[in-house]
Amino acid sequence: MVQLRPRASRTPASAEAMVDEGQPASEEAEHGLLLGQPSSGAAAEPLEDEDGEDELDDEAPEELTFASAQAEAREEERRVRETVRRDKTLLKEKRKRREELFIEQKKRKLLPDFLLEQLTAAPHTDIKKSPGKLKEVNLQKKNEECEKGSDSKKVKVQKVQSASQKSYLALRLKDQDLRDSRQQAAKAFIHNSLYGPGTNRTTVNKFLSLDNKRLPVKKAAAQFLNHAWGIQKKQNAKRFKRRWMFRKMKTNKSK
Amino acid sequence: MAAAERGAARPTGDNRTSRRRRRRREHCLRTSGLEPGAFPGQSLRARAHVGLGRREASSGAGGRPAAVSRGRGVGRRCENRVPRGAACWGPTPRRARQFLCPEASGDYFEDPGRKGKGWRRPRALFRLTLLARPVKAECSVLYFWVSNLEGMGEFKVHRVRFFNYVPPGIRCVAYNNQSNRLAVSRTDGTVEIYNLSANYFQEKFFPGHESRATEALCWAEGQRLFSAGLNGEILEYDLQALNVKYALDAFGGPIWSMTASPSGSQLLVGCEDGSVKLFQITPDNIQFERNFDRQKSRILSLSWHPSATHIAAGSIDYISVFDVKSGSAVRKMIVDRQYMGVSKRKCIVWGVAFLSDGTVISVDSAGKVQFWDSATGTLVKSHLISNADVQSIAVADQEDSFVVGTAEGTIFHFQLVSVTSNSSEKQWVRTKPFQHHTHDVRAVAHSPTALISGGTDTHLVIRPLMEKVEVKNYDAALRKITFPHRCLISCSKKKQLLLFQFAHHLELWRLGSTAATGKNGDTLPLSKNADHLLHLKTKGPENIICSCISPCGSWIAYSTVSRVFLYRLNYEHDNINLKRVSKMPAFLRSALQIMFSEDSKKLFVASNQGSLHIFQLLEGSFKHLHTFQPQSGTVEAMCLLAVSPDGNWLAASGTSAGVHVYNVKHLKLHCTVPAYNFPVTALAIAPITNNLVIAHSDQQPLPNDKTLLYNPLPPTNESDVFRRRTAHAFKISKIYKPLLFMDLLDERTLVAVERPLDDIIAQLPPPIKKKKFGT
Repeated sequence: MVQLRPRASRTPASAEAMVDEGQPASEEAEHGLLLGQPSSGAAAEPLEDEDGEDELDDEAPEELTFASAQAEAREEERRVRETVRRDKTLLKEKRKRREELFIEQKKRKLLPDFLLEQLTAAPHTDIKKSPGKLKEVNLQKKNEECEKGSDSKKVKVQKVQSASQKSYLALRLKDQDLRDSRQQAAKAFIHNSLYGPGTNRTTVNKFLSLDNKRLPVKKAAAQFLNHAWGIQKKQNAKRFKRRWMFRKMKTNKSK
Repeated sequence: MAAAERGAARPTGDNRTSRRRRRRREHCLRTSGLEPGAFPGQSLRARAHVGLGRREASSGAGGRPAAVSRGRGVGRRCENRVPRGAACWGPTPRRARQFLCPEASGDYFEDPGRKGKGWRRPRALFRLTLLARPVKAECSVLYFWVSNLEGMGEFKVHRVRFFNYVPPGIRCVAYNNQSNRLAVSRTDGTVEIYNLSANYFQEKFFPGHESRATEALCWAEGQRLFSAGLNGEILEYDLQALNVKYALDAFGGPIWSMTASPSGSQLLVGCEDGSVKLFQITPDNIQFERNFDRQKSRILSLSWHPSATHIAAGSIDYISVFDVKSGSAVRKMIVDRQYMGVSKRKCIVWGVAFLSDGTVISVDSAGKVQFWDSATGTLVKSHLISNADVQSIAVADQEDSFVVGTAEGTIFHFQLVSVTSNSSEKQWVRTKPFQHHTHDVRAVAHSPTALISGGTDTHLVIRPLMEKVEVKNYDAALRKITFPHRCLISCSKKKQLLLFQFAHHLELWRLGSTAATGKNGDTLPLSKNADHLLHLKTKGPENIICSCISPCGSWIAYSTVSRVFLYRLNYEHDNINLKRVSKMPAFLRSALQIMFSEDSKKLFVASNQGSLHIFQLLEGSFKHLHTFQPQSGTVEAMCLLAVSPDGNWLAASGTSAGVHVYNVKHLKLHCTVPAYNFPVTALAIAPITNNLVIAHSDQQPLPNDKTLLYNPLPPTNESDVFRRRTAHAFKISKIYKPLLFMDLLDERTLVAVERPLDDIIAQLPPPIKKKKFGT
């Protein structure tokens, strides 16, 4: 009996520790409730014992018949057996639950079922689908050909096949990024070596003005105006005009 | 207030000269119909911009002439001197008269309306057929043929200058001696093929791709064309079906250079990572063979020794010579960085050429042409020819002359000449400089009789060598080719719309109109400006191959390499609704030419497999009617289409075979016009007579340079005898800038789309600075 008590109290504690390792909060709460049962049972036992001790203090020891003592002992034995059995089943149940939890967690890490199914079945479906498509196209073709009765069926089917084959292109994005960056670098190199600093370039405007300077009839520069100038002023003017129009319309209406 | 108002109305400032400059691109803005005190907002018309989710910034910003030109004609007085580029709307200076073709030999001509297949020589041609390119480089000569309509009278001509088209610069040029053809690649990835024996006609073209950035182009194994670019891929082009046969990644990063071996069976590629890769050319593919010793920096130029035992590779600061058998670098020749005594930046070897005597010629960014001895690895001779980069070199097959192109736009001709008059000792001498370019010459080629150069300024210049030319005629003249030899513009006659095709977008414009009348040669003021209605951008990186607007103006079709698009347009007052017609059939992947019938009920599509598709257009949808399959055994693509105005006949021509005429009503091939030596450049079917007019690239029906031509004079001035003596089929007008398009809107209205070269130069990258005396 003395041995049994600590065992009963130890098992839930260890079970709790095990469960704590990696569980979501909600499930922990559930387990806590479940695990509370044996501990409460263990707590109830000493209470009973204390009652018995009190009785001993007050009264003289009662005389017990052998039969009653034997019955009591048997009863005690039975109770102990029962608690052991109960503990065992509880433990079993806990293990089972943990096992289930692990399985579930494993499943959660994997891709969803329908996706997996699709992935495994994809090559088959492709093979199945493409003839179907072809058949449809063929049907269309047949309808058309019925109308004109031409003899070019084979050519057309081949053409459609080639079209369906090239309708998509599989690329690895990583490679594409690398290639793009290299291409950008190459373009930067060529631009820098042709138009970069130290290449002695002029502007188109100055270039065109060279001819103009020698012409007997002087003309304006090709790009006479710098459009970047006076942006703020232009905007202000625009706003002013809009306001002016608005005012004008108002006065017209009032007249 | 007045000042502010003016500033708002003309965001570009007020200056007399600037006004004139602005006017160059505008359709016409010299209006005096509106009174000066008009409401400031009135001239700013509401415009409908429909795009794929994007609208253009309205006015002022950017170089878009459409936006700049809006509402500026208020109260402007006409100037006495007509500004050079002023767009105008006016009758042609001279009257159109009855013109008969005096002599037109060699040009086939057929009457599909007649049942018999009789061949006749053309006598009267109706409906104008145009050559969409300047015939001579310097002056734009317009030939148009007008038929016998005595009472035709004067034309009103819309002179359109708002087609803001800038051809992409030329990057590579490759000459094929066997077929006398020239392949040209441009900076947007377009590859064009010119037939030099057919009067320099641009026979074929492969549309560009945004990511392709072609850096090298070469012919191999006879007439197979390869290109390689900065995306690291080697491409082979199918010259029959006009598409890209395959693309193969070389796995060496961006490719800078490529050459074919002298026998044409191997391909050598120089990559960004410093590797030189050898590919074996198999009949239907290329196969990687091996790598040569890897160099430290990118390989920018490559050249084979004519015996195919060694190669020279130009890199940054040095040239290496490889042994082909072992694949190891035999010699390394360091190029001097010094430039006129000043240490410059890195010296980039832009081009190398290996001669059969073991000499390596290199051109570099320091402006030098250097001769090296590959056996000893020593510098033999150095010519400093330019202050800027020397970017390209090409050697003649006989190795007695070569040509280099510089960034200053000059090309230099070097020749091997004897030192004294009868000694056998020869040396390389710089003989002739030519300045035909304004910008960098990125590529040169040397044909047996001509120097060919192309560069950033978008001109392809063919300069015949006078010592090689036997007869001095028109063929021996300098050629400058700037514009593509295909039509980028289509016109809707009913709605007076023009559709402009750019590489990645389409623009739809409505022509302006005038109420004024005037006499011959007058410039009429516009009462309504031209309108930019639509800016349609394509998705994806592919360039547009062809586009068309239906005569009724309610359909737009265009094609890229992978798809054909059809749009339906709805006009409601000033708004346009654009709706894409989905579900184009699967067999319709790309089209080389699209055309609508005159009643806009049928769509004709020439696909690149050689078949012709006919669709019936219904309200918002379409129906496939028929497909004309190509003749058995041919895969030749059809490039030109013509539809008769009554919609019964369809003529189609490929690049070399004859012209096929189809009966659209009975959906069968009517007949085939036998092939002529020269490729077909334009097709048209006359409206009333259903005569088919075919123009070939030899310009046969056009008069040659010896013919005396008189411009027909107004009938009132001269006597009848004089008129009869000077009468001929052609009216020549030289008033136009390079013409890209011309069409009849109605019987009395012409539309001409011009593209002045100055406008193109103004939009090119900056040229090299040159000191000019007196400036």
